Amino acid sequence: MQLKRRPGAGNLRTGLMAATCALLAPAVKAQVPAVEDNGDLNKIDAGLLYYQEDGGRVRSIDAIVKLNHDFGDERVFGMTVAVDSLSGGSPNGAVPQKYAQTFSTPSGKTLQPGVPEDEGKLYTIAPGRQPLDPNFRDLRVAGDLTWSQPLGIGNKVAADGHLSAEHDFLSASGSLQFSRDFNSKNTTLGAGVSLELDQVRPSGDVPVAGSDYTLLQKDGSHDNKHVLGAQLGVTQVLARNWIAQLNFSLDNSGGYLNDPYKILSRVDASGAATGYFFESRPDTRQRRSLYLGNKVALGGSVLDLSYRYGWDDWGIASHTIEARYRLRIGGAMYLEPHLRWYRQDAADFYRLYLTGADPLTGSMSSDPRLAAFTAKTVGLKLGMPLANGDEIAIRLEGYQQDARDRSSALPALSGLDLNPRLRAAVLQLDWRFGF
Amino acid sequence: MKNRNRLRVAILLSLPLAGCSTVGIKPWQRDILARPEMALDANPVDTAFDEHLYFSKEATGGGRGFGGGGCGCN
Repeated sequence: MQLKRRPGAGNLRTGLMAATCALLAPAVKAQVPAVEDNGDLNKIDAGLLYYQEDGGRVRSIDAIVKLNHDFGDERVFGMTVAVDSLSGGSPNGAVPQKYAQTFSTPSGKTLQPGVPEDEGKLYTIAPGRQPLDPNFRDLRVAGDLTWSQPLGIGNKVAADGHLSAEHDFLSASGSLQFSRDFNSKNTTLGAGVSLELDQVRPSGDVPVAGSDYTLLQKDGSHDNKHVLGAQLGVTQVLARNWIAQLNFSLDNSGGYLNDPYKILSRVDASGAATGYFFESRPDTRQRRSLYLGNKVALGGSVLDLSYRYGWDDWGIASHTIEARYRLRIGGAMYLEPHLRWYRQDAADFYRLYLTGADPLTGSMSSDPRLAAFTAKTVGLKLGMPLANGDEIAIRLEGYQQDARDRSSALPALSGLDLNPRLRAAVLQLDWRFGF
Repeated sequence: MKNRNRLRVAILLSLPLAGCSTVGIKPWQRDILARPEMALDANPVDTAFDEHLYFSKEATGGGRGFGGGGCGCN
């Protein structure tokens, strides 16, 4: 049975789509922003986000615009454009010391001060402070195109293509997803595959992995990596007010997986730094995750509750619990508190710093993102649907990350916070409209 | 041992969806699920921003669905 677009058919079509979306839900559902279907063939969802970390760290302004055009018969075209502008200080991986330390920005050619062509490329970190490279600056532009349509009866197929560019990174990716409905559309099974090809073009060229940082040895202007992904999912309507989805995802990465800007400190028996080394990660990584999501309507409110368990062959296992509660207040306005709790293990090759006993061959990294930590998010969103089906919303979030390993008993490091708490605030404005 | 624990987690997570061929509602009972806020990804812009933030600050990414591609942030 073909459902032709006609006045009043909006709710039935949206209802069937709600019941048939599987793992495609985020990807395919994302084609059709969830606004009241008032017959608009074009829907635009625009967002502006300001992100700020504390302590002189990263700041970014991000803008995103998503457009969906409904060609009828559940054929939907989607386009997304995103721009991110980042600046601020980013940890370089070295540990604080009780004396000042001097480093070079990635494009610097020497650690010797006073060399004219490298003027301005050295930065000095005050005693006791976490080394941050203050020159972190980037602009990223990304574009997506998506298409989804039915395939025969009860099946849906979707394709997605993506390109993004920033001054030191290029990415191209595509994915294909298929879903099929069963059990009077109460159950949907979905599967998808994706391929991502990236080129890393570091400022100052690609450092020789694991080499002595002070020598600033580089090897080539760029290197490549690829990510192969697959996903299996099932969506199930459990009750009139409850829909759940279970996804299993895997991705295998290969190629250049290092962060070219990250180094490690090597300290002696007292904790004083005797040298620095560029990090070195394995050239493959296999990640898996299991995600269970739920949407439950409770009267006029909606609870979104999810859990994700992730693991990989770098030794990092993680748990994520996330909840959002959309509470209707006064007319169609809503308040949506948001809570997220996340915990991860450290990568097998993660080190706060190297000691004399640690080998300098093999994988090693001091990147705080590979450390064991717990992260919490607390947020609140206020949404104001407008009369013609449009909506504006404002969202405020706080994010905090606390590392498990932050101190050392070594005398030259005692009393220093070797992996300080990260705090960030997010302010987002959203505007959704159709025409 | 680790793999067996992961298998147990997978089975536990799947239990709510076991026997799903007999669970469900009739087509005329889809009024609540039809509400836009009941879509599994009701706020794709929020999801896109959040996924980018967590991808660049944490080691585990995605899981909900296919992301929009890579960035040099991790």
